[in-house]
Amino acid sequence: MVTFGIVIILIAALSGAPIFAVLLASAMLGFWAVDIPLAIVAVEVYRIVDTPLLVVLPLFTYSGYLLAAAKTSERLVDVAQSLFGWLPSGLALVGFVVCAIFTALTGASGVTIVALGALLLPALVRTGYTEKFGLGLVTTSGSLGLLLVPSVPLILYGILVQQMEIGEPFTIVQLFLAGILPMLLMLLLLIAYTLYVHRGGIIPRVEFSSTRMWSAIKSARWELPLPLVILGGIYSGYFAVSEAAAVTAVYVTIVEVLIYKEVPWRRLPNVMIEAMVMVGGILLVLGVALAFANFLVDVEVPQKLFLFAQEHIHSKIEFLLLLNVILLVLGAFLDIFSALVVVVPLILPVAIGYGVHPVHLGIIFLANMQIGYFTPPVGMNLFVASYRFRKPIQELYLASWPFMCVLLVALILITYVPWISLVFL
Amino acid sequence: MITGLARIFRLIESGILIALLTGMITVAAYQVVARNFFDTGLVWGDALVRILVLWITLFGAMVASRKDEHIRIDLISNFFRDPLRPMLRNFTSLFTAGVSLMFAWYSGQLVYMDYQDAVVAFGNVPAWICESILPLGGLIISIRYLFHVFKVGNPRYEEGQKW
Repeated sequence: MVTFGIVIILIAALSGAPIFAVLLASAMLGFWAVDIPLAIVAVEVYRIVDTPLLVVLPLFTYSGYLLAAAKTSERLVDVAQSLFGWLPSGLALVGFVVCAIFTALTGASGVTIVALGALLLPALVRTGYTEKFGLGLVTTSGSLGLLLVPSVPLILYGILVQQMEIGEPFTIVQLFLAGILPMLLMLLLLIAYTLYVHRGGIIPRVEFSSTRMWSAIKSARWELPLPLVILGGIYSGYFAVSEAAAVTAVYVTIVEVLIYKEVPWRRLPNVMIEAMVMVGGILLVLGVALAFANFLVDVEVPQKLFLFAQEHIHSKIEFLLLLNVILLVLGAFLDIFSALVVVVPLILPVAIGYGVHPVHLGIIFLANMQIGYFTPPVGMNLFVASYRFRKPIQELYLASWPFMCVLLVALILITYVPWISLVFL
Repeated sequence: MITGLARIFRLIESGILIALLTGMITVAAYQVVARNFFDTGLVWGDALVRILVLWITLFGAMVASRKDEHIRIDLISNFFRDPLRPMLRNFTSLFTAGVSLMFAWYSGQLVYMDYQDAVVAFGNVPAWICESILPLGGLIISIRYLFHVFKVGNPRYEEGQKW
């Protein structure tokens, strides 16, 4: 009976059943097999209520969707271009930076590619970059910024680990700080690659214009304080994360609806529903994953996994190498949220057993998943970009693989030099 | 008939979801201002916000079921062609409907137990009211996925319409 159940669940998962249903079925089957009343599953899902930090997800997601509905992306590109556009390969540099910020704000849900890609790609081609380079940049940058506050996956990892209460304790702000240098490293390597490809001044440089800069800054003056409020507020400890999220939601509503008037009142409900569909999907998966993870802990799967690992893996380096390979493969098939909630409870105890700091593990995890977003065959960015720019998916594979190689180098450095993630700890 | 009722239900559901989010933003922001500038705050404010997160989760998930927008491992839409694709979709929808219905049933048990034991969530709000969204959400999601299988009550959405 149990075997039959497992087979059905596996088939359902592979045929594209919603992840929440797959996890729910697994948890119920598991608890049923060990004779625990199934109301426990509801108790576990209700634990969403015991996690105060979760409130930041709906708040930040709403703010992000509202920003995406307004013309924030255009203003962001204008400001960045007027500031950095005069540098060699300036526009590409602008693209990376702006995509990273926008992804952090909106979550890597494809919004970056849809909102910014449409702006950046034509501009890049007009400035002299090849279309292939532009497509690659836009596709890969759609998940750049996962390590930057207030990225939802980063917050979710922190919440998950803190729920499990194993390993060295850390605060959510420490996790945020840990993401900064790895993020900068990725940016630097991508920019270095861009400069190398376009060496010898193939791309004509634009002159710096202070009038242009001031007009760009002036038109974005209401949105520019936003990163300051979020990042400054959180990093300085002035705001709790949940307070920053609430302030951001109100501020963004006032700015986009009342001041810029780009999102009329009528459209606000649509934005809210769109954002909450996203949030509902993620949090439901999180809730049922808590139930499933609890079952796994009950039957001591993580311990068994650790014992098994100890027999075959003898050093931290070996473990990290295996971890990278597994996560890259997983990232190519699973979306980031499912991967987080299913895999983290399993590997965290093992990783801690090998002396990997939980914060470091989180950064490694997200850096891997970031690459998974554009790894064939099912990386989401590839499909979003293919749909948005009406290009065959194969063309996007070809366009994004050089960027993938660059990010793999960054991933290796991030994985094997823990200092990059843990320097602020 | 079903289509008409489903439409009215969608309107109510969307309205509640919007109200929940608006309420949450309002309370959360009020708490920040009250705490930082006036050293006060609603005693039950934080608890309420946490319950609202749960309700928003379930309502968001219910809305996501309308057009089957839940997170999934998306292999079929990319790799399978007709006629296999709709067959697999029906199978997964049926699976989801069944699992959600079971969840509705067992979370209903939790609600009933906490109702009998008069468990309190916060202030004098009983826990069973806060929990009641679990069976309700499970039931609605289950019905929606059955609708997907039998192609009834299906909304014909216009471009960009979310209601």
